[in-house]
This record gives sequence, C-alpha cells and structure tokens, in this order.
Amino acid sequence: MKVLEIFLGILTSVGGFVEIGELTFALNAGSKFDFALLWVVVLGTVGIIVYGEMAGRIAAVRKQPVFHLIRERDGLTAGLLTLIAANLVNLLTCAAEVGGIALVWQLMTGWAYRPLVAGTFVLLALAVWLLPFKWIERVFGLFGLSMVVFVAAAIASGPQWQQVVGGFVPQLPKAATSSEMWLYAYFAVALFSSIVLPYETYFYASGAIEDRWTTKDVNLNRIIIIVGSVLGSLLCIALVVLGSQQLSARAIEAQLPGTAALAAGVALGHWALIAALLGMLFAFGGAAIETTLSSAYNLAQFFGWPWGKFRKPREAPRFHVAWFVLLLLSTLLILSGIDPVEVVEYSIVFAVVTLPFTYFPMLVIAADKRVMKGFANGSLSNALGWSFLVLTTIAALAAIPLLLITHGGRG
Amino acid sequence: MNKDPVDLVRSVLDHEIVDADDVPCGMVDNLELSGGPGTTLEVDSLLTGPGAWTERLPWPFPRLARAVVGRRVSKIPWSEVASLGDRVKLKSTAHELGLDARDRRLARWLKRIPGSEAD
Repeated sequence: MKVLEIFLGILTSVGGFVEIGELTFALNAGSKFDFALLWVVVLGTVGIIVYGEMAGRIAAVRKQPVFHLIRERDGLTAGLLTLIAANLVNLLTCAAEVGGIALVWQLMTGWAYRPLVAGTFVLLALAVWLLPFKWIERVFGLFGLSMVVFVAAAIASGPQWQQVVGGFVPQLPKAATSSEMWLYAYFAVALFSSIVLPYETYFYASGAIEDRWTTKDVNLNRIIIIVGSVLGSLLCIALVVLGSQQLSARAIEAQLPGTAALAAGVALGHWALIAALLGMLFAFGGAAIETTLSSAYNLAQFFGWPWGKFRKPREAPRFHVAWFVLLLLSTLLILSGIDPVEVVEYSIVFAVVTLPFTYFPMLVIAADKRVMKGFANGSLSNALGWSFLVLTTIAALAAIPLLLITHGGRG
Repeated sequence: MNKDPVDLVRSVLDHEIVDADDVPCGMVDNLELSGGPGTTLEVDSLLTGPGAWTERLPWPFPRLARAVVGRRVSKIPWSEVASLGDRVKLKSTAHELGLDARDRRLARWLKRIPGSEAD
C-alpha cells in the first residue's frame, strides 16, 4: 500500500478537519457547558466517518460523485432543492471562512479589514486557478496542522481529566432552567452539524475522482477517513476543553476567531499564539477553497457539465467560471459588512437541514449489492448508516426551531 | 442500442450522458417518446438542457425556472446511444453532436487568462 499517500492523506484531513464554524461552536460549547457536550464531538466524528467512507467508496467503485447520486435517486425536484440549499450553505460557509481569514490576518498585521477581505479573495482565487488539486489539498491541509497547538494548550491548561472523560457520556446539564436546556440542545445540534458539514462529503467524493481512485483505493479511503477524522476530532475536543478552561472561568464569549488563538497563547505563550493564528489562516483558507470548489462540483455534477481541477479551464469552462463566481459572491457578501461569526451560525444550522437529502441516496447506493457488488455496505455500515440518517433527520427538523427559540444561541 | 425493453426511469432519466471520449455532455433531462395505444412505446431521443428539465418541475416552478435558466434543449437521437449503465454513453463525441457549443465559446474567452493552460 502507498504508505506516503496514506500518511499525507491523514495529515491533510487532520489539518482540514476544523474550520471557522467548528472552531466557534466548539469553543463556545466549552465556555457555556464545560465538558458536557464532548459526547456530541464523538457522535459527529462517527457520523462523518460513516458517510465520508461511503462517499469515498462509491466514488472509487462507481466513479460517481454525490450529486450524481442525489439527482439519480432523490429525483429532479428534491435533487434541485438539495442543490440550491447545499450551495446556499456553501456560499455562507465560504463567506464566513473569507471573513475569518481577514480577521486573523488583521490580528497579525493591524491592517484595515475590508482591504484584507479583498486581498483574501485575490490570494484564494490565484491558489485555485494556479495550483493542481493535490497541491491545494496538501498546502492548506499541512499548514493547517499547526492548529495542533490547541491540543498542547488544552493539556497545559490543566483540566480535571475525570470531568473531561465524564463529558463523553451523553448527558443533560444538571439543574438547568428550560432556557438553558434549549440552549444546550441548540449547541448540541450546531456542534454536530459543524463536524458533519455536507460540503466535506461532496468535496471528499469529488476529490477521490480528481485523484482517480479505483477499487484498489477502497482500503486507503477507509484508513484516511477513520484515522484522519479521529485525530482531527482531537482538535475539536481540545477547543471544547480550552473554551471551558480559558473562557468559561472569565465569562468570555468567543465572538471572534482570534479568541481561540488567544486561549492558546494564554496557556503556552507567544509562539503558541502565532502557531494558532497561522494554523487558522490555512485551515480557513482550505475550507474556503473546499466550499467554493464543492459548489462548482455540485452544479457541474447535477447538470452534467465537464468538471474537475484535473481538466484545464478550456476543457471544463463552466465549472471553472462557477467556482470563481461563487468565491466572488462569498467575498461580496462579507464586504457588505455582515459579521462572519453571525454568518457561521446560520450556515451551520441550515447545513444540517440538507444532510438527510445528501445521506439518503448515498446510503441507498452504498447498500445496493447489484451496483456495488463486493464493495456494498456490510451490516455494521448499514446499521450505522440508518442510525445516523434518523439522527440527522431529527437534528434537521429541530435545527431551525432551536435557532429561533434560542435567538441564535444567545439564550 | 438493441430493441430490448429498458426501465427508463431507473436506467436512463436523470443519468449523466458521456460522449465517445467519456467527456460529460449533459444529463438525460427528459425523453421524447413515440407510439400510442396498441403499439410499443419507443424512445425517439434523449433531451438535455434547461428547457427539458424545467417542464418536469411542479407548478408554478417551470415558468419561474425558465425565466432564470432559459429554454435551450438539445436532442440526441436514441440511435446515438452506445450503452446504458451508471452513465448513458454515446457513440459520437460531444463536438460531433453539437453539444459543446456553449463550452467552446466560453473556453475561447478563458484561454486568454494567464495560467489557464497550467496542469
């Protein structure tokens, strides 16, 4: 087996695991509920492993990306609704990442925010235009790895480990008022959604086709998604712990991405602060590119256009114009003055609504022995797949009412 | 294609169309059928393009969607279909069937941008 490819694949998926939404919600979950939501991180990680593995396996075996399956199995009308919803969520997520990059860049330089947003757009557009797919994955994934400083900071902050372990058991907050219960439910749904964001599945399956995976890569897919997600989830757990240790005690609400870097800096000093900021810059940059490419993949796959970074722009012109326009629209949204963190909250909540429509056709195809032959789901994949489909449907139904009841998590 | 019965909904409609070089050139957005009572129903052509899928949307969306994406429809004769499966494969290239006209126009413009030929 290709050891180097597995190693790099795992590292890039760890570096790309956390984006601005997950960072914000993990930090705030820790700051508001200490360790009581850590079990949601485990649940979300298992969910992304189950469906990410299925998406990669289908792509390797059938060479079919997710939006082919959605169109084929959900039908035209439901598929079109999913496409519109998924791309609106991607647009909001990409806007939040662009704004997040500009905010981090501003912290590092002190320059004005709006020119930095414009500069972010130029740099991201150049990266997608000029770099091959593998380079994009690796440059942003590997530099994003400097966010492991959050794990060191979480350990250095000296949490009560017994309480941390207790957080992995599903629970309700003790002696909570009804408004605190609603807030807890809102954060549980939002944290879960931020881990299983649908663009990750679309991008992962399209990336498998970009990398020309075949049936020989089914085991590679399994190792990368399982090890990469488990290690990536440690970053998320570290952010929850840091939120509890550094922010909860001081009653700080993480309204800016820089708060996370500050929490690392308080625990470990100047260099940790710089490593955290750099890691965030590349992790948000990777997520911005993944969301904008994911939107272009979705459109091209739904309407049957030639697509892929492996095709030159003249061979897939509508795909290349699509990612550029979507990146531009995301940037304009942020330039209009909207707060990136507020955009994050809406994008995360609306993302969970699209999940059942994304997961259902994948599960049907992956379980179909006639089309997947020896690579169809086993009984464990089927049991987990159906359990998570039910879970995401419940989360999808609860997401918008919880957003309204809790006034967007403000209680 | 031979004259064997085909499950049009499961195996043809909403499937990707690829040309003889495996380049995607649309989806099967609708079908043109011929035949009537007492005769065998046959597929005359595959229809692809916004004008073909917008009319399958429930009321009142067809009119709204056509206003946004237009009414263009391309017809591919059933005799051009080489095989069915995960994709509908054609015997000719997209260029020979005139399915890539929009892409070629856009490509001429994109080729002028530096870096567009980079791998």
